[in-house]
Amino acid sequence: MRIPSSNPQAQQSFANPFNGAGSGIIRSGLGAYGERFLGSSSEFMQSNVSKYFSDPQYYFQVNDHYVWNKLKVVLFPFLHRGHWTRIAEPVGGSLAYKPPIHDINAPDLYIPLMAFGSYVVITGFSLGLFGKFSPEALSLQFTKGLAGWLMQIILLKGFLYSLGRESPLLDIVSYAGYAFTGMSIAVMAKIFWSYSYYFIMPWVCLCTGVFLVKTMRRVLFSGPRSYEHASRCHYLLLFIAAAQFPLFFWLCNMSNT
Amino acid sequence: MAKEFNVPPVVFPSSTGGNTSTIGPNQTGTHQRRIPTFTPPFQPSNPNPTQHLPFMSFDVGSATASSSFSAPVFSTGNGYSTGMGGGPGSFEDELPLLEELGINTRQIWRKMRSILNPLKVNPNLHADADLSGPFLFLMAFGLFQLLAGKLHFGIILGWVVVAALFLYVVFNMLAGRDGNLDLYRCVSLVGYCMLPIVIFSALALFVPQGGVAVFILGAIFVIWATRVCTRLVVELASCGDEHRGLIAYACFLIYTLFSLLVIF
Repeated sequence: MRIPSSNPQAQQSFANPFNGAGSGIIRSGLGAYGERFLGSSSEFMQSNVSKYFSDPQYYFQVNDHYVWNKLKVVLFPFLHRGHWTRIAEPVGGSLAYKPPIHDINAPDLYIPLMAFGSYVVITGFSLGLFGKFSPEALSLQFTKGLAGWLMQIILLKGFLYSLGRESPLLDIVSYAGYAFTGMSIAVMAKIFWSYSYYFIMPWVCLCTGVFLVKTMRRVLFSGPRSYEHASRCHYLLLFIAAAQFPLFFWLCNMSNT
Repeated sequence: MAKEFNVPPVVFPSSTGGNTSTIGPNQTGTHQRRIPTFTPPFQPSNPNPTQHLPFMSFDVGSATASSSFSAPVFSTGNGYSTGMGGGPGSFEDELPLLEELGINTRQIWRKMRSILNPLKVNPNLHADADLSGPFLFLMAFGLFQLLAGKLHFGIILGWVVVAALFLYVVFNMLAGRDGNLDLYRCVSLVGYCMLPIVIFSALALFVPQGGVAVFILGAIFVIWATRVCTRLVVELASCGDEHRGLIAYACFLIYTLFSLLVIF
């Protein structure tokens, strides 16, 4: 069978129009979907996502400085010298909270998302070191982490609902996701030295508990104050802090998966 | 035994030496086909005579009877099959197919070479995104994993899609209103920057599994991939500059995830 030796000159002259035509065909073939997903991406995100949530753009206005300091606040909440209230500024007649860049106490979604990703990757690592890694196990860990996040959201939302306060859903998602930073640190410490698990884990649970309690107190008292349910409020806050322990132990325990 | 067909023999008027070759119904005729001297046995009726269809415009007689098959070069591959009464002509169709699909192999090779240099990154090459290069890399990745005994083709493809979606969301949210990284380009960038991980999976075949060397190698290649990906994303999409560290961490997570597939 004769193998055609391609004539490079002939190929060169036809390369450019084919290239354009080929990609044009593929692009136009995608049709309506092409315009939607391959076109202006930022506008697509803005218009569609903000219908269901409260402007997720607000939660991503972060920079390196904010991220670093917020991590310090989440992991060592008792070292935070300043106050815990969010700074509000009058915008268009009503009060709006300042974005995370300007306010260390504002919730953001970048850290929880990254912490969740780190949690999945680090638990994958530790699964591998125990010899139990498989892509299915990693997907299982991912789902487990999502379930834990959801449980945390339900806990916080239930807490606020029982005390009659409202808060935007994404705020709660963000506060719930901060727990994953501690979890990632705990699992990473376990990889390097297995005995560290026994003191880093309670420490991290405690820190997340304290952080959540302080934040929830601020969320509770940000509106009109009512002292009727003071004792119920305190018991529920204590319950939130105590509930971190089983949650962390369930999510970070690798030996039974 | 080949089946006999009642087909009248096709007579090719030949200009070489004056001998006519008749191809009977039982011969395959692929080796005897003399393309340069062939004239099509019929002219398809043109329903719209004013419209000059391009596929019959090639001048077959002027091509030299050399070993190069560049002669039957035409703008679409469709006209060939209607014109020829002979075989399917598989290798004649191959030449324009790659170009029709938009797979520019030279561009892929150039982009690959630019990624291979971890220190200097040329973002102009990656300004036009394509998915065929990443597809090639992912298939190679799957192949090396297969050589290591792991069947990961579908997992790799699925994880690349999820990872690109993740990077797309994170980048556009961080960049705000001016972020213009579209999903197509995001997948293309994530796929091209997968090249260090592909090389890592090839090298990991020769390194003892579970040793320290694998982890160190993995760290080097993951950092290489992260560096290249961050530089490309920041330079190709606008408003990425002030969030360089944040985007770098997202890319780092993505490539660490893929290196997990290689190491364990």
